[in-house]
Amino acid sequence: MTQKTRSYLTVLIVFLILASLWYLYPSVRLWTMPQSEKETLRTTEPQDLIELEKKALNLGLDLKGGMHVVLEVDQSKLKPEERRDAVDRALEIIRNRVDQFGVTEPLIQKQGGDRIIVELPGLQDVDRAQALIGQTAQLEYKLLESDENKVAILKKIDEVLAQKEEALFEEEEISFEQEGEEPEEPKKTEDKKKIAKDLFATEEPESVSDTTDTSSFLEVEDEDIYTERPFTSLMENFGGFWLGVPIENKPKVELFLKDPDVLAIVPEDDEFAWATRTQIIQGAEYQKLYLLKKRVEFSGKYLVDARPRYDEYRKPEVNFTLTKEGGRRFARLTGANINKPLAIILDGRVESAPVIQSKIRDQGRITMGGGARFEEAVDLAIVLRAGALPAPVTVIENRIIGPSLGQDSIRKGTTSAIIGFFAVLLFMAIYYKLSGVIADFAVILNLVFLMAVMSALDATLTLPGIAGIILTVGMSVDANVLIFERIREELRTGKTIRAAIDAGYKRALTAIIDANITTLITAAVLFQFGTGPIKGFAVALSLGVAISLFTAVVITRVIFEIRKGYRTLSI
Amino acid sequence: MLEILKKTNIDFIGKRYYAFAVSGILVIFGIAAFIAIFLGKADLGIDFAGGTMLQGYFEKEVRIGELRDAMSRNGHDDAFIQSLHREMPHYFLIRVKKTAEDVTTIAQDILGILEKEFPGNKFHKDSVDGIGPSVGRALQKQARVAVLIALAGILLYIWIRFDFRFGVAATITTLHDVLLVLGILFILQREVSLLIVTALLTLAGYSLNDTVVLFDRIRENLKLFRRKGDFARTINTSINEVLSRTIVTSLTTFLVVFILFLVGGEVIHDFALALMLGIIIGSYSSVFVASPIILEWEKKSPKRFK
Repeated sequence: MTQKTRSYLTVLIVFLILASLWYLYPSVRLWTMPQSEKETLRTTEPQDLIELEKKALNLGLDLKGGMHVVLEVDQSKLKPEERRDAVDRALEIIRNRVDQFGVTEPLIQKQGGDRIIVELPGLQDVDRAQALIGQTAQLEYKLLESDENKVAILKKIDEVLAQKEEALFEEEEISFEQEGEEPEEPKKTEDKKKIAKDLFATEEPESVSDTTDTSSFLEVEDEDIYTERPFTSLMENFGGFWLGVPIENKPKVELFLKDPDVLAIVPEDDEFAWATRTQIIQGAEYQKLYLLKKRVEFSGKYLVDARPRYDEYRKPEVNFTLTKEGGRRFARLTGANINKPLAIILDGRVESAPVIQSKIRDQGRITMGGGARFEEAVDLAIVLRAGALPAPVTVIENRIIGPSLGQDSIRKGTTSAIIGFFAVLLFMAIYYKLSGVIADFAVILNLVFLMAVMSALDATLTLPGIAGIILTVGMSVDANVLIFERIREELRTGKTIRAAIDAGYKRALTAIIDANITTLITAAVLFQFGTGPIKGFAVALSLGVAISLFTAVVITRVIFEIRKGYRTLSI
Repeated sequence: MLEILKKTNIDFIGKRYYAFAVSGILVIFGIAAFIAIFLGKADLGIDFAGGTMLQGYFEKEVRIGELRDAMSRNGHDDAFIQSLHREMPHYFLIRVKKTAEDVTTIAQDILGILEKEFPGNKFHKDSVDGIGPSVGRALQKQARVAVLIALAGILLYIWIRFDFRFGVAATITTLHDVLLVLGILFILQREVSLLIVTALLTLAGYSLNDTVVLFDRIRENLKLFRRKGDFARTINTSINEVLSRTIVTSLTTFLVVFILFLVGGEVIHDFALALMLGIIIGSYSSVFVASPIILEWEKKSPKRFK
């Protein structure tokens, strides 16, 4: 190495160090800033803080906390022409919702043909965000079936079910007689089993006297009503347009509603629908069940705006504005059905079914069912404004990292990095003396450069990324170890210091390059293959290894050039 | 000059048959683990198998046994429950392998169970990981492809840099190292997660690093000793020459990974363990596996010393 190249290299190294420090400054400033100062900055100069956060090294979700969900858009029910851009439309709508929810730097992108990744860093209320993103938000208005018809249909359902159970009961009895004592027929469905058991209980007074089991006692007492009206005995009529189903009866009612014989009774253009929420009535929890007309009278596509509000009873509601055409249609609908209830349905569930008081034109309101929180009105307004998703979505991957877990990872990661770092520095200094200290200098620079390059490239630091940095620290000394060991060997053969240094660097070089390239190959594969945290690892490792080539070979070389003139070499 | 080893002259090559026996046995475990993974019998992490993992803490004390009973009472017999040491007391990790198309339902189900079984003792969830079955399957496929590409890339590079024999020996050694670590993890009943696969790929690169340094020296010495010594002695000399480097580098790398293992936290714990094993095995294999392969091959069909 000539005097000239050495000077050039020195200038280059100094320049690189300065550039690195410039890139690292925002990160160091942000990370060392006390929480109180951050808060004052947030209120006084929010733009400065955002700027600083942008310039600082990005932290991955696993360190910062936040939410990562992958949604799959179910296009199976779409027509081919709707399918074309369904995912893109869904993505736009979700982006709109997230923007309105107010999350800083959300990441929303398409993955493959029908998936959408949503990443929301540093989020507190994950459940709410999840509901907001995953909701289809299909708003529909439907009329209710008239009371007379409803009563008739319910009566028919009761009759059919009663007949069915009668038949079943007889069948059971016959089978009892044939098989003898066994009261339970294992082949029957669970539901039928329960019925059989209940009926059996009436014949066995012992089980009635078993007062510890109050539920079975009650069932037995209600037995007559139950056999006559198997369906309506499961619910209560509070005089509204709806049926109150106690929450514990809901599974059974749902099962009955799926019964093909029951489905056959419900008229073609009618359907049953549950309310969105449960409600406490007279101290018990109920879910309302409505009998609706299937026809969609009006839908959310005519909405131009929706705002949450409290009504005069301090109950949350959403006020909306309609397009001109929507207003016309809505006026026609409401005008023709004054004093009738109109069900407001969101994603197949009845939000509420208020009675139309007067003709409504382009301004309307959605009263939320009982027990709704104001937050829900806020979110409903958001999804209504952003529009409905073109197709339902399912969450196929869901990762939520709480902020405290992220903090914990940062603390443990940095602690092990710092300990590992100093352990290596100490070892090298002891083992190779002054040469070791020079190698340590290279290791320190390696770390500084690595962090700076990651900052400059806008790379993201993850927990495996921290592990990658630690690993780099351990491995980056390898190049210097190879060189030093070689120099020692050359010195042993009796070479001069000058010749030993030259030979050491020259001969070790091929091994160093070969060894590092193999690591780079695997790191590149990992980068391609990995998800977020693993990518962070691959980036840290490959950059670290590449940079160590420079720090260990070039930078130490410049220093060793000076030492060539020394009479003894501390190595 | 501080030295861990003075100039050594250990007969490594002479002990190669013992090494073959040890490696052979462990490789069998590795292959068993590999087959088990392939057949879906191994303990795959939720990244690959799909499933749900919850971390969080209870407000009041809950014993791990109570939690386990509560979970199995509600249809989660296979739930894995671990008590974690965090700032919050009563901190647990709960993992189930059950999956559903919509993964949020499983987490909600578990939270519902906890609410029902521990009334008045709220469980605060800190993190949720829910992986659907299709995501897991896709990742499995990706991982297999990644391992193959990495091995092919390494092989290609070594073949370009060295000759065919060295290339084959280096590839076998790398495969040996990965299988050995996999085998040991299998014996220790560790879960094969995404991070473990990452560790395996990383140590493939690292162990090769060691082999390459040794091969580099063997190649250099073969030129020097062309006429003089025999092949086995050349290899043995080369091993002894690079021995102190092997030990120093392994030591520094091992040191940092060991610290990671001790204080890095449970997310990184198994990852660090795999790397620790890889570093030890990587150093061992370049001496006892890679070099003997070259030697045996030369013995069978001499190429350099006819």
